[in-house]
Amino acid sequence: MSRPDRREASQLRALNCSLGQLNRADGSAQFSAGNTSVVSGIYGPVEAKVYEEKLDRAVVEVKFRPDIGAPTTKDKWMESAIRNTFEREILTHLHPRTLVQIVIQLREGDGSVDSAAINATSLALVDAGIPLKCMITAATCAVLSDDTTVVDPTQEEIDAARSTHTFAFASGSSTGPLYVDSRGDFTMDEYNHCYDLCALATERVLAFMRTAIEGKVTKEAKISAA
Amino acid sequence: MVAEIGPSNIESAFLLEALKRGTRVDGRGIYDYRTLKISCGPTYGLAEVQLGQTRVLARVSCEVTRPFPDRPTEGIVLFNTELSSMAGFGLDSSRASTQEVAISRMVERVIKQSRAIDSEALCILAGEKVWTIRIDVHFLDHGGNLIDAASIAAIAALKHFRRPDVTIDGEEAIIHDVRERNPVPLSIHHTPICVTFGFFGASGDMLVLDPTLLEEQVQVSSFTITLNSHREICALNKAGGIPLSPDQIQRCTQVALAKVDEVNEKIQLALKASTA
Repeated sequence: MSRPDRREASQLRALNCSLGQLNRADGSAQFSAGNTSVVSGIYGPVEAKVYEEKLDRAVVEVKFRPDIGAPTTKDKWMESAIRNTFEREILTHLHPRTLVQIVIQLREGDGSVDSAAINATSLALVDAGIPLKCMITAATCAVLSDDTTVVDPTQEEIDAARSTHTFAFASGSSTGPLYVDSRGDFTMDEYNHCYDLCALATERVLAFMRTAIEGKVTKEAKISAA
Repeated sequence: MVAEIGPSNIESAFLLEALKRGTRVDGRGIYDYRTLKISCGPTYGLAEVQLGQTRVLARVSCEVTRPFPDRPTEGIVLFNTELSSMAGFGLDSSRASTQEVAISRMVERVIKQSRAIDSEALCILAGEKVWTIRIDVHFLDHGGNLIDAASIAAIAALKHFRRPDVTIDGEEAIIHDVRERNPVPLSIHHTPICVTFGFFGASGDMLVLDPTLLEEQVQVSSFTITLNSHREICALNKAGGIPLSPDQIQRCTQVALAKVDEVNEKIQLALKASTA
């Protein structure tokens, strides 16, 4: 069955990103896959409030703002999911009694929003110079009603899917995923198949991110050397 | 590393001294706007404005709802302009200062109360179904003068937006899917644009157009005039600060008239570029 936008089943949409576009934020990144576009802004390490600071590590706070309307419980859930994912990968013990604030703004939502948010945040953390154990990359899969599995589904595909699965992996790590979100009716075989497809997709996302970051760093090196 | 504590005495003194000699810290003339970049789309109703270091995102969406009981033939326009933490550390809509709340309300009032959007055209079936147009303004970067940037973004987004087409068949309304029939633009009467001035000095005798964040922190008074392309004044806002003379207000109005034409032209170019 062909997809509405004529992509292959395991093909990602056109990826695009730009780093450091915001002036006030310590680091920022805009990441888009097709018509899903997310901006992530990082402030950190900054002063934490006395009642929320931790004595031996940095506190990580995430705010997720939807494109349309006021934040709902769905967005609050996304905030805690992203915080749990990144809290362990940020080297928080290097900055005790500080706060790392991650603010994510959804610009356009056309499916696979959670993986775009994770990818944007990864890039933004690198742009902000926050020490990380690894890069975190995410991808989403959907199992359609005709049992085919598609990678990086659009909202239209997600609405018609039987189940959707988002996986986030740590780069260069052979251990399991850092973040898993599976919804709908699915068999373990379908789950495993999605796992494999997302693992491959995240490798491609990582390669893309690497090119983007290398490009920015070499450009900056040229400017400062000139 | 720490929360915003405001400009140092040296910075403020330097800014005022420079203004006394007719220059601004960033080299602009006192009536110059910063570089204005407007980009629309690809989604209908999405507009992003970059005014110097200030960045604002506006998103327009629509929904079919019941009308207000006292206005059965009018559509509804909803605004949401919250200052997000992304725009500046410590900025948060739940702990917003009066100034920040004023910014949000200003943009909302300018577009709603100036009746820029034709709400009668949003009626589908009187008393039963109308379009609710929702405008969400997200502040991404606070580099000063959020009001002007937000009003430009909101107007550009409204002009860029397309709603599903509707056919009325007696007592029934058929709302066409955007893939069946091309969506239609909103009916916009006029385009109000805000132009903000900052005043400096003990008697507010020095003024600048489009203040940066530093200039906003040093200014003693602020004045926003909202004009449309028909040379009509839609709103005047001077809340607090030191008193200004009517001559100063007149001068600002004349300058703003010219600027609004420039801005409207830029919006038109951006809209054309997005459909190209």
